[in-house]
Amino acid sequence: MADLIVNGQVIALDEDGFLVDASVWNEEVALALAKTEDVEELTEEHWKVINYLRDYYQKFGVAPMVRKLCKETGYDLKKIYELFPSGPAKGACKIAGLLKPTGCV
Amino acid sequence: MREQVLIPYVAKDIDHMHLNVVPEQHRPQAALEILGQMLKYKRSLKLYLDVCTHCGACADQCHSYLGTEDPYNMPVARVDLVRKVYDKYFAPGPSFLKKWNGAKDIDQETIDLWYKYFHQCNQCRRCAVFCPKGIDTAEVTIAIRELLAHLGLATKFHAGITKNMRDTGNNMGTPLPALLDGIEFLEEELKEETGLDIPIPVDIEGAEVLFNPSSSDLFTNTDGFMAVAKLFYKAGVSWTLSSKIMETANFGLFFHEPTMREHNMRLMNAGKELRVQRIVAGECGHGWRTWRMFSDTINGPLPFPVIHLFEEMLEHYKKGRIQFDKSKNPEVVTYHDPCNYARGGDLIEQPRELLRACVQNFVEMEPTAQYSYCCGGGSGLLMDEAMELRMALGKPKAESVRKTQAKILCAPCAICKAQLPAVMAHHKVDVEVKGLSDLMGRALIL
Repeated sequence: MADLIVNGQVIALDEDGFLVDASVWNEEVALALAKTEDVEELTEEHWKVINYLRDYYQKFGVAPMVRKLCKETGYDLKKIYELFPSGPAKGACKIAGLLKPTGCV
Repeated sequence: MREQVLIPYVAKDIDHMHLNVVPEQHRPQAALEILGQMLKYKRSLKLYLDVCTHCGACADQCHSYLGTEDPYNMPVARVDLVRKVYDKYFAPGPSFLKKWNGAKDIDQETIDLWYKYFHQCNQCRRCAVFCPKGIDTAEVTIAIRELLAHLGLATKFHAGITKNMRDTGNNMGTPLPALLDGIEFLEEELKEETGLDIPIPVDIEGAEVLFNPSSSDLFTNTDGFMAVAKLFYKAGVSWTLSSKIMETANFGLFFHEPTMREHNMRLMNAGKELRVQRIVAGECGHGWRTWRMFSDTINGPLPFPVIHLFEEMLEHYKKGRIQFDKSKNPEVVTYHDPCNYARGGDLIEQPRELLRACVQNFVEMEPTAQYSYCCGGGSGLLMDEAMELRMALGKPKAESVRKTQAKILCAPCAICKAQLPAVMAHHKVDVEVKGLSDLMGRALIL
């Protein structure tokens, strides 16, 4: 996938559009990533999910189980899909700057 | 269709499998050498290349051909991509006869075609059910994917998963602290749901059972995983997970035999260390094939049997240790036979007996059992970049399910659970996909 340009900086993306280097993530990068996921605006609700994902990622190095994400944010899966149309493991993790969950998912 | 099918990304990092990238100009020669070696120790491969009569019985039994309408996806045509090279270089007989038979030099284009079409076979083995000669294309696909891996042509998706497995003991690459955090959370969820202290034990030496889940059970399919904890609790069986391995899906089977063997050994060693009486495998089709068919052969003799969750739970049900309230599952439920249960792992009747015990309205789909179509994700074709191909491969299954008018599609395999919701949505079949554990968990009388 084409790289992102944020504030004149080139941000490298992998073939699936996820960050190659998770450490370059910031709120502006999140906004640019959101556009690639057809999420035009990041609302307070989006940020609640993103912040939880990032906190968990910083602590454990991976995304939390989807059930835990729902429980901790108070959003059910339907709501998560409304906020991030390609779902928790793809859209939400991508915008939050996490690596892509892989395996049988 | 043919021009639009995307080829999955090739892995950049295959060092962990001790593989090297062969420079493009050397690939044809290297491919011949590897094929020659394989023919010496894979008798089945040689047999399948030798005995095809081109009768065509397989052609319209293959969901890949039916879904993509690409003639190279007829099993006979797929294997002919190799057979032509085999005829030229390895088959017995005079060369003029070989020429008539279509024998062909190997070149880079041949290798590109192998890469493309052996990644459009789900290794589902349905063709083998219909072949009068018993040719199992899955075995050829496994061999050629392995050959390609030795040239440096493994998919990024598959190579990444085997690396995760090696580093963490699960395909998702989830480190142990995250697994333990998730498990603790699920114990709290069980308490909230049932009011009972239902444990999810880890590394308990001397437990009766070592249960090996799919790592996706600890990420997306948590209902099924919690159900397993409830079932063991109610049956009164002491059980444990192993921190060394929480992964029943063995991607090595699809393209790299040493990885398959190593993954298998990891589980067998975990069972020995914990001194369990048996290993119980969770819901995963191809993984089950490796546990049932290969464990004793490649890592035996073993001090314990390796059985499937359904065999375990059927035994408890028959002995009256667990009971179900069918009214908890009132919807029409149909059953998808994972390929490696029905055509590679001796699991056709057991899941049906459990289903009939725990749901009110079970209906068979057509075709079913060993004739059932693959979900289209088999052999690990779950990469996002192949989504268009995956939806085409899933088309015959979608039509089977549509005709049942079922509300729940029971698909007790981690790959099927990842693939089928997308397939059903794409082909506009209104059905919810669940594991058999999920349904047993809902109906279990605690």
